Amino acid sequence: MIFTIAWRNVWRHRVRSLVIMTSVALGVWAGLTLNSLYIGMGNERLKIAIENEVSHIQLHHPDYAREFTQAPVMNNIQTALNQIETVEGVKAVCARTMAMGMLATATGSAGVQITGIQPPNESRVTQLQTKIKEGTFFTASKPNSLLIGAKLAKKFKIKPRSKVILTFQDASNELISAAFWVEGIYQTYNTALDEVMVYVNQPDLNKLLNLTDQAHEIAVLLQSDDFTASGKNKIATLFPDVKVQTWKEISPDTELIIATMTQASMVFVIIILLAISFGIINTMLMAILERTREIGVLMSLGMNKLKLFTMILTETLLLVLVGCPVGVFIAWLLITYLSENGLDMSVFAGESMGDFGFSNIIYPDLLPAQYVQIIMLVLITALISSVFPAVRALSLKPVEAIRA
Amino acid sequence: MSIVIETQNLSKVYNPDTIPVYAVNQVNLKIQRGEFTALVGPSGSGKTTLLNLIGGLDKPSSGKVIINGTDITQLRPNKLIDFRLHNIGFVFQSFNLIPVLTARENVEFIMLLQNVPAAERNKRVETLLQHVGLGDKMNARPAQLSGGQQQRVAVARALASKPQFILADEPTANLDSAAAANLLDIMAALNREENMTFIFSTHDQRVIDRALRVITLVDGKVESDIRR
Repeated sequence: MIFTIAWRNVWRHRVRSLVIMTSVALGVWAGLTLNSLYIGMGNERLKIAIENEVSHIQLHHPDYAREFTQAPVMNNIQTALNQIETVEGVKAVCARTMAMGMLATATGSAGVQITGIQPPNESRVTQLQTKIKEGTFFTASKPNSLLIGAKLAKKFKIKPRSKVILTFQDASNELISAAFWVEGIYQTYNTALDEVMVYVNQPDLNKLLNLTDQAHEIAVLLQSDDFTASGKNKIATLFPDVKVQTWKEISPDTELIIATMTQASMVFVIIILLAISFGIINTMLMAILERTREIGVLMSLGMNKLKLFTMILTETLLLVLVGCPVGVFIAWLLITYLSENGLDMSVFAGESMGDFGFSNIIYPDLLPAQYVQIIMLVLITALISSVFPAVRALSLKPVEAIRA
Repeated sequence: MSIVIETQNLSKVYNPDTIPVYAVNQVNLKIQRGEFTALVGPSGSGKTTLLNLIGGLDKPSSGKVIINGTDITQLRPNKLIDFRLHNIGFVFQSFNLIPVLTARENVEFIMLLQNVPAAERNKRVETLLQHVGLGDKMNARPAQLSGGQQQRVAVARALASKPQFILADEPTANLDSAAAANLLDIMAALNREENMTFIFSTHDQRVIDRALRVITLVDGKVESDIRR
C-alpha cells in the first residue's frame, strides 16, 4: 500500500513529476555520454601513444639518457629481436638507432631527432607507414631516404625529393654531415613530435654512426595492454643487463592524462548529480508542503515514522527510476552509434586536438560496469536527496499538520 | 460498565511563560464503554483540544489521559503512534481521506498498518462499507464522492482498526442536513448494536439532540455533564 500511495502521489502533479523525471533522464544521459567521451578520448590517446610513440615496452642500454648525443647502444640486436618475438603476448618488435642533430635546408635549419628505423619491422610496431601524407614509405631503392613531419616540411617548404642536410655526432664525437632526400611527408596526431622527428633507414644511419648490429632502442608491441606487466618481466629476465620499461614508465604523462580525464569526467558527473539532487529536494519539499494535512492524518491514524520515511523514500526513488532508464537508453543508443561512427571533434575544435596528442575523431566507450556505476550514483543521490524532505515530514506534529 | 477513558486534572496551557491561555483547564472525566457523548461549547471553549489530548495527538501541559488503564501521556512517541493505531478511531471535520486511494483502500489502509491478513481485511472492508451504505462505491476515489459519502468512508475507516472508541471532531460540520442525519443514524446504530463508544465535539444541535451524554465546556473547564 505504501508503494501504491507513493506511485499515485508521483502522478498527482503530472507536469511537475514529468519535469523532474526529464531532468533525471537528461542528467543520466549527459553523465553517461560525457563519461564515454572522456573514456573514448583517453583510449584514443593511449592507442596513439602505444601505436605511434612509445609502444608497450621499450628496451635501452641502462645508461641510455634522453639527452642522447652520446647515448650508449645495445649490441647483438638481431638476436635480441628474435628472442623477444618468442615471448608470450608479443605482437611485433623493432630496433631503432637515434641521433640528435640539425636539419638544414635552403630556407633554414632546425634541431631534430633523427631516428633510424627498420621499415618492415617499424610498420608492424607503429602506424608510421599509414601516416604518410605525401610521397612513399622507404620504397625507393636509393640510399639516404628520409621521412619528415608535415609541420616541419611546411615550415621549410620541403616537398618529396627535396634535399636536406643532416648534421650530427658519431660514436667518436666526430661531426658528420650527410645529404638526405625526402621520400615522404608524414602527419601523426602529435604535431609537436611531427615538428622534431625525422626518420631514416637504420642501415644508413648506423653506417654514418659507425654502428653495426647495434641500436639505441628496441620497441615491443604486445597483443594487448594486459600483457604489459608479464611481458616486461619476461623480457627483463631474458636481458638482465638491459633497461626494460613499460609505456607507463616511459610516458608517465600519458597515464597522467588518462587519470586526469577520468577525474574530470567524475567532476562533471558530480555536478550533474548535484543538479539532480537539488531538483529532487525541491520537488519533494513542495510535495510535502502541499500534503502537510495528509501526512498529519497518516500520522494520526497510526503510520509510524519508519513507514512515513519509507513512503517518501519510495516516492523519490520512483521519480528517479522512471527517468533513469530513459536516460540510460538514450545514452546507450548514442554511445553505441558514436562508438562505431566516431565523433569528429574538428567540427568544434578545428585541428587543435592534434596539438595535444589526441585524435580529431573520438570513439566513445563505456563498459557495462561504468553504466552500473553511474546508475548507482544516481540512485544514491536520490536516496540522499530524499532524506531532507523526509526529515521535514517526520518533524511535523500530527495535531498541527491536520490544521494546515 | 467499564471505564474506557479517564482524564485526571488534564490541562493544556499555551504561552505558559507570558500570558497563559488555558485551552483545557483541570478537566476530570470518565467515559464508559458504549457511551455516545457530545462535547459542546462555544468556539474556543477547548472541545477540539480536549479531543486531541484524549486521542494522543497533542501533549497535555499537566494531568493524565488514561485509556483502558494506560496513561498515554507517558508513552514514547512511537509507542503512542502504535497505541493510537490499535485503540483509537478518528473522524475529522474535513473527512481527511487519502485522496489517491479508493474508498476500499482508505478503509483497508489502517488494517495494513496493523498487519491484518489479506482475507480478513477484504472481508472487513466490504462489511464496513456496506454497513455505512457505500457497498457500491468501494472503488471510487474521495474526489468522486459527496461530502456525506466521504464522511461515511471516514467512519468506516475509523471502525476498521477495531478501536476502543471513536473520536469525531465536528463530524457533521461540512455536511448538509440529509447527509448529517444519515451519518448520525449510522453512528447511533454502531453505538447501539456494537456498543461502540463515540465522543464527538460539535456545535450542531441535531448531533446534541442525539447524544446520550452531553459535556459542556466553557473556557476549557467542564461546566456541565448531563447523561440522558
